[in-house]
Amino acid sequence: MNAPATERFVVPIGPQHPALKEPGHFEFTVEGETVVDATVRLGYAHRGIEKGAEGRNWTQTLYLIERICGICSHIHSTAYAVGVEQLAEVEVPARAQAIREIICELERVHSHLLWLGVAAHDAGFDTLFMYTWRDRETVMDILETMSGNRVHYSANVLGGVKFDLTDESAVAILKGVEFLEERTHHYRKVVSEDAFFLQRTRGVGTMTHAEALALGVVGPTARASGVARDVRLDAPYVAYADFPARIQLLTAGDLEARFLARLDELLDSFRLIRVLVAGLPAGELTAKRMPRKLKPGEVISRVEAPRGELFYYIRSTGGEQPDRVKVRTPTLCNMGSVITQTIGHNLADVPMILVGIDPCFSCNDRAVTVRRAGDDNGRAWAWADLRRYGIDYYRRIRN
Amino acid sequence: MTRDLINLLFFPAGLGLIAAGLLYQWVDRKLLARFQNRLGPRWFQPFADALKLLGKEEIHPAGSSAFLFAALPVLALAGALTAALYVPLFGLAPVFSFPGDLIVTLYLMSLLTLCIGLAGAQTRDRFSLAGALRVFTQMFAYEAPFILALLSPAVALMLAGQPSSWQIGELVLSAAGQPWFLLTLPITFVVALVGLMGKLELPPFDAPEAETEIVAGALTEYSGRGLALFSLARAVELVVGLTLVTALYLGGIGAGPLAAVLFTAKTIGLLLIVVVLQTLLARLRIDQTVNLWWRLGSVLVLAQWLLLLIFRVLR
Amino acid sequence: MKIALFTDLARSAFRRPVTERYPFEKRPAPPLYRGQVSWTAEGCTGCMLCVKDCPAEAIDFFTLDKANKRFVFRYHTDRCTFCGQCAYSCRFSCITLDDEAWELAGGDRAAFVVTYGRPEDIARVELEELPATGA
Ligand code: SF4
Ligand code: SF4
Repeated sequence: MNAPATERFVVPIGPQHPALKEPGHFEFTVEGETVVDATVRLGYAHRGIEKGAEGRNWTQTLYLIERICGICSHIHSTAYAVGVEQLAEVEVPARAQAIREIICELERVHSHLLWLGVAAHDAGFDTLFMYTWRDRETVMDILETMSGNRVHYSANVLGGVKFDLTDESAVAILKGVEFLEERTHHYRKVVSEDAFFLQRTRGVGTMTHAEALALGVVGPTARASGVARDVRLDAPYVAYADFPARIQLLTAGDLEARFLARLDELLDSFRLIRVLVAGLPAGELTAKRMPRKLKPGEVISRVEAPRGELFYYIRSTGGEQPDRVKVRTPTLCNMGSVITQTIGHNLADVPMILVGIDPCFSCNDRAVTVRRAGDDNGRAWAWADLRRYGIDYYRRIRN
Repeated sequence: MTRDLINLLFFPAGLGLIAAGLLYQWVDRKLLARFQNRLGPRWFQPFADALKLLGKEEIHPAGSSAFLFAALPVLALAGALTAALYVPLFGLAPVFSFPGDLIVTLYLMSLLTLCIGLAGAQTRDRFSLAGALRVFTQMFAYEAPFILALLSPAVALMLAGQPSSWQIGELVLSAAGQPWFLLTLPITFVVALVGLMGKLELPPFDAPEAETEIVAGALTEYSGRGLALFSLARAVELVVGLTLVTALYLGGIGAGPLAAVLFTAKTIGLLLIVVVLQTLLARLRIDQTVNLWWRLGSVLVLAQWLLLLIFRVLR
Repeated sequence: MKIALFTDLARSAFRRPVTERYPFEKRPAPPLYRGQVSWTAEGCTGCMLCVKDCPAEAIDFFTLDKANKRFVFRYHTDRCTFCGQCAYSCRFSCITLDDEAWELAGGDRAAFVVTYGRPEDIARVELEELPATGA
C-alpha cells in the first residue's frame, strides 16, 4: 500500500459521489479508516430561487417555491402561503387548513419512508431499501389520487386549497394508512432488532442533548437527542392547534435513535391523519377574497418540514410581487452536526451519519456575498464581470 | 489431444465455463430481485453487460503502471479459469488432476482477490486505495478459516482411517462413498459457504466495494475491457467455488449423465442459500468483518477439528 | 442475533414482483391527474388571469377582437409545469388539464406548441405573426 495505516490522507466525498444524491463536497481526513477531521462545502446546486421570486407575482412565486424541494414540496408552499396570507390579513377557512395539514402529514409519511430506504441503502441493506420504497408507493398513490400529481401536489393556492377531500380519497387514505401503519411497526422492529443492521446504527454518531442544543439542530435529528423542538407544537400553523401532533422524543442520540424518532413520527402521523379525516371541519375551501396587491409589511413564517424547522421571511413593499423571500431549510441547521459527529468514527460510518440528518442539498444552497463592515468592496457584479471571473477562475485552477 | 483441447477451450472449462458463470450470475441477480419483490434482469443481461464492457474504450489512469493495469485483469481471469481445471465442473471428472491439486486450487482462487487488491493499490485514486486496503484486510480475515474449512473433509477422512488425498479427483470419489460431509461436518460447511461469499465480495461482505463509501472500491479506475475481464473472473470464480463446496460437502460426484444434472442442481441449491443470505444481511463494516472471522469463523473451524480429534480418540 | 426480514423474504419469494412493466402495461391516471392543458373559447372573456398567474409563462394569449370574443390561446407544453393554476384562475371553466394526455415526451419541439381557437383566427395569428397580448 502507498499509504500506511498511520499516515493521514484526505478522502474527498463529492461533489459527485454515490453516497450523495445531490452535490455537496466533503473532505474527510482519515488515519487508516478513522476520520480525524472533516470539512464541508455547500452551494453546488444554487438555483437562484430567492432572486427568482422577486420577479414574479405572489401567485407565481407560490409555484416556484413549491419547486424548492422535490420531497417536501407541500411544506414549502404551505410556509409561503401561510406567510402571504398573514401579510394580506386573510382568514383561511378551517376546512382548507385541515386539508393542508392532511397533506403535510402524508408528505411526512412519504418523506420518512423515502429516507428510511436511502439510509438502508447507505448501510448496504438494499433489501430494506426495496421494501420501504415499495410500500412508499402506497402513500404516493394516495397523494396522486387526491391532488393529481405524485410530487408537486399544488394543493395550495393563496387563501386556501384547490381541491376538497372526496369520499373516495378519504377511503383510500384510511386504507393506505392502515397498511402503512402495520408496515411501519414492522420496520420499527427491523431497525431496532436486526443484528446486522444494529451494528451499523447503535452507538454510531451519538449526539448528546447538550451538543444538540449547542449545534442548534432541528427536526427528528434534534428530537432523537432529546431536544423537544417541534414547530407543530411550539407555534402551531395551519390546523395544528385544533389537531395537534404529539412530540416523539428519544434520548439516545445515536443513529438508531434517529431511525426510531422518524418511525415513531410516522406512527403519530398515521394517528393524526385518521383524526383529521374523521373530524374534518365543514366549510369553504378558499378565503372570500385574496388581493393581488399586498400591503407593505414583512412576516416570518415557520413550519415543521419532515427534516425540521423551515423558516420563511417574506417582505412586501405593496406591489404585486414579493420584495424579498428568504428561505432557510432545516438541512443548513443540521449540517454542522455531520462535521462534529463524524470525527472519531470509521470512514464507513460517514455516509450513514450524513444520511442520518436526512440532508437535502439543493434546498439549502444559497449564494452569499460577505461584506466586512467598513470596506465598501461589496460591488455589484455585472454580467461581464461575472463572465470575466469565471474565465479567470478556471484558468487559475487549470494551471 | 483434440479432446483435451475441447475440454480446455469449450466444455466443461473455457468458454462453457464462462457462459455458465454468467448464467449463475443471472440466477443470483434474478433471485435477489425476486426476494426483493422486483422484476430482475432477463437471462441474457449478464452476457449483454459483459459484451458491452468488452467493446468499450478502456481508460488508463495516469500515475499507474500501464503494464500492471492491463495485465492484472488477464491474470485474474487466467487464475480463475485455471482453478476450474482441477474441480469437477458440473459433476464431470476434473479436466486435469495431480496429487495436491486441492491446495493449488485454493491458492489459484485467491489469485483473483490478490489481483483486484493490487489493481486498486497500484492506481493513485483514493477510493481504489481504500478499496484495496479493504480487499486485503478482508482476505486476511476469511482466508484461513475458508481454506481450513475446505480442507476439513480430507482431514476427516484421514482421521477416520479412510483413503484420503489432497487430490480433488480422488477426494470427491471417496466422498461419494461417504454420508454427506454436510451432515458430519456441518460447522465447516457453513464456514466454507460463508467464506465463499467473502471471497466473492457478496453482501454482507461487500465492504471492499461499498458504493456509498468508496464508489467501486479497488476497481474504481477500471473501465471497458479490464472491468469486463474482472467481472468474468468473478463469474468463473462463483462457479468454481460452488462446485468445490458441493463436491466436498454434498456427496462428491457420482457416475452417469444423471449425476451431472444432480450435481448442477446441488450447486444451484447452494447458490439459493447464498442469495438468501445476501438478501437478509446488511453490509458489515470492514472491522466488523474481521471481528466476525477471527472471533467466530476461526474458532468454529477449530472447534470442528477438535470434535474430529475427540471422535478419533474415542474410537 | 436476530435477522428481521426473514418473513418478508419468504412472502416476497412467492409474490408477483411489484414493478410495473410500464410501456407494456399502463395504469390509468386518477381522474384529477394534471396532464396537458386544453382550452375552449366557450365562456372565455379574455380576462387574461390565466396568463398572469401562469408561473411558467406557458400561455400566449391573443385578443383579436374582445367584443366578439375572438381569442387564440397558444399553449407551450414544454414550458408548462402542470400546476393547474390556469384552470383554477379561470372563472369560466375554459381550461382543463387532461388526465389522459400525460405521455408528452417527444423529439419534435414544434409539436409541443398547441394552439387553440377558431381555425381562421389561428391562421391570422400565424400569418401576421401577431405579438401575444400583454407581451
Ligand atoms: S398548468 Fe400551470 S404552468 Fe401549465 S399553463 Fe397552466 S398555469 Fe401555466
Ligand atoms: S382566465 Fe379563463 S376567461 Fe380569462 S382569459 Fe384565461 S381562459 Fe379566458
